[in-house]
Amino acid sequence: MIRRYAALIRNAWLVDLQYRASIVLWLLWGVTEPAIALGIWWAIAGDGSVAGYARADFARYFFAVMLINQLTIAWDSWYLDRWIREGDLNYRLARPLHPAHEAVAENIAFKARTAGVILVVWLLLAVAWPAVRLPFAPGRWAFTAVAVLLAAAMRFFISFTTGLLAFWTTRATAIMELHAGVSLFLAGRIAPLALLPPAVAGVAGALWFRSMLAFPVDLLTGAVHGTDAVLRGLGGQIVWLGFWILAYRIAWTRGIRRYGAVGG
Amino acid sequence: MTGNGTRETGRVHWIRLLGAFWRLNLAEELQYRANFIASVLGTLFNLATALLTLALFFHHTTTLGGWDYWEIVVLLGVFNALTGVVEAVLRPGIGQLAGEVRSGELDLVLVKPVDAQGFVSFRRLDIWRLTDVVLGLGLAGYALFRMGHTPSLAQLTAFGLSLAAAAIVVYAIWVVLMSLAFWFVSVENIAVLFDAVYEGARYPVSAYPGALRFLFVYLIPIAWTTTIPASALTGRLRPEIGLAAVLVAGLVFALARALWGAALRRYSGASG
Repeated sequence: MIRRYAALIRNAWLVDLQYRASIVLWLLWGVTEPAIALGIWWAIAGDGSVAGYARADFARYFFAVMLINQLTIAWDSWYLDRWIREGDLNYRLARPLHPAHEAVAENIAFKARTAGVILVVWLLLAVAWPAVRLPFAPGRWAFTAVAVLLAAAMRFFISFTTGLLAFWTTRATAIMELHAGVSLFLAGRIAPLALLPPAVAGVAGALWFRSMLAFPVDLLTGAVHGTDAVLRGLGGQIVWLGFWILAYRIAWTRGIRRYGAVGG
Repeated sequence: MTGNGTRETGRVHWIRLLGAFWRLNLAEELQYRANFIASVLGTLFNLATALLTLALFFHHTTTLGGWDYWEIVVLLGVFNALTGVVEAVLRPGIGQLAGEVRSGELDLVLVKPVDAQGFVSFRRLDIWRLTDVVLGLGLAGYALFRMGHTPSLAQLTAFGLSLAAAAIVVYAIWVVLMSLAFWFVSVENIAVLFDAVYEGARYPVSAYPGALRFLFVYLIPIAWTTTIPASALTGRLRPEIGLAAVLVAGLVFALARALWGAALRRYSGASG
C-alpha cells in the first residue's frame, strides 16, 4: 500500500508540475479572500481592538487561515461530479484500487506544493513584519498538526461525499458551493468565530464547521486556552470525521449500485 | 456568414456580426430555462452572503473607510452589476480561447475579417447572467431609498458615465488576462485570477490599509470600477475624480490593447 501511494503521489506531483501556472492561479485565488478580510478588519480595529482582537491578532489569524485552508481544502466534489457525469469513473472502477486513493494522493501532492509556498512566504514576511510572528511553541504546533490532519481528512470526505451526489443530481457542485458559502461564516473564513454573534458561533461549534478550519487556526494562533479545550476540540473533530466517513460509505455503496454509464 | 457582399468591403461590421452571434446564443440558451432559475438563485445566495458579511463588519463598527452601511450596499449593487456583465459577456468565451491558443485553432479566428480581440471577447453570451445586472442595480436603488437619498440628474449622469468607464476598466483587465493565456498556455482557469483580483472591489477603496489601496488604485485599477460609480450615486464624487476615472479607463484600455497586440505577435499557430 505504501509503495502504491508513493507511486500515486509521485504521479500527481508530476502532473501538477506541468501546470505550474495553474497552481499559482489557484494559490492566488486562495489567499486573496483572507487578505481582503484582513484588510477590512485591520481598518475596523484601528488602534484599538475588536472583541479582544487587535491588528496584530487579525494578521496572525488570517495568515493562519491562508495556510491551514490551503492544507485542508478539497476540490474532489468537482472531480467526482465530472467523473460521474462523463463516465471517467468507469476505468477508475476497473482498477484494482479504490478511486478515493488517487484523490487522496492528488490532495497530498497539491497541498505539499501550495502550502509549502505559503509557509515560505509567511516566514519571509515574518522577518520584516513582527505582527505576523507566532510565539515559539512546539507543543502547540504538534497539536495543530494533528488538528490539521483531522480537518483535512474531514473536508476530503465532505467534498468526496458531496461529489458522489452526482449519482442522483446534476447539481452536486452547486450543493458544494452552498456549503462553501455557509462555511464562509461558520468555519471562520471571514472572521474569527469569537466575533460572530454567540448564537451563530454556537451553531458553528455544534456542527462540523468549526472543526473544518476555525479550530486548527485558533490552535495555531494560541486562541484555544487549556488542555481541556484542546482535547474537546480534537474530540469534536474525531466525531465529525466519523460522521462524514459514514456518510461517504452510505453514498458510495448506494451510488455505485445505481450507476450505469457508457464510455469514459 | 462571409457572403460576397461583405468580402468586397473587407471587414464585416462588428455590430452586425455580434448581433448574429448573440442571436444564435440566445436561441441555444432558451432551451435550458432551468438554468435561469439556478442562475437567479445563485445570485441571490451570493448577495445574501455579501450582505451578511457586511452586517458582520458593521456589528463591530459604524463606518468603513468613511462609508456607512447603506452606502456600501449601493457599492455592492454596482459590484454585482459589473460581475453580471463579466459573467454574461466575457467569461463564457475565455475557456475556448485558452484551448485555441494551445491547439493552434486560433488560426481560424485570426484569418477572419474581424478584429480578433473583439471577436474572442464577445463571441459568447450567457444571457441568464444579465439578471445579475438587474438585481445589482435594483439593490443599489433599494439602498439609496433606505438612505433617503434621491440622486439628482447630474448625479445620475455622472453614475452612467462612470459605470461605462468602469465597464471599460473591467474589460481591459480581462483583456490583460486573456493575453496572459499566450504566455502560460496551460491556464484553463485563467478566469480564476479575475475572481481573485476582483474580490477587492467589494468594498470602498478607502477602507483598505495604504499598501492595498495603492495596489487597487494604481497597479490593478479595480478601485475605479465600483468605488467611483457608487460615489456618484451617493453624491460624494468630486468632479475631478470623475474626470480622472474616464481618463484612467482610456489609458487602461490602450495599455491592454497594446499587450494583446504583443501577445498575438508571440503566437505562432500550429494550425487547427
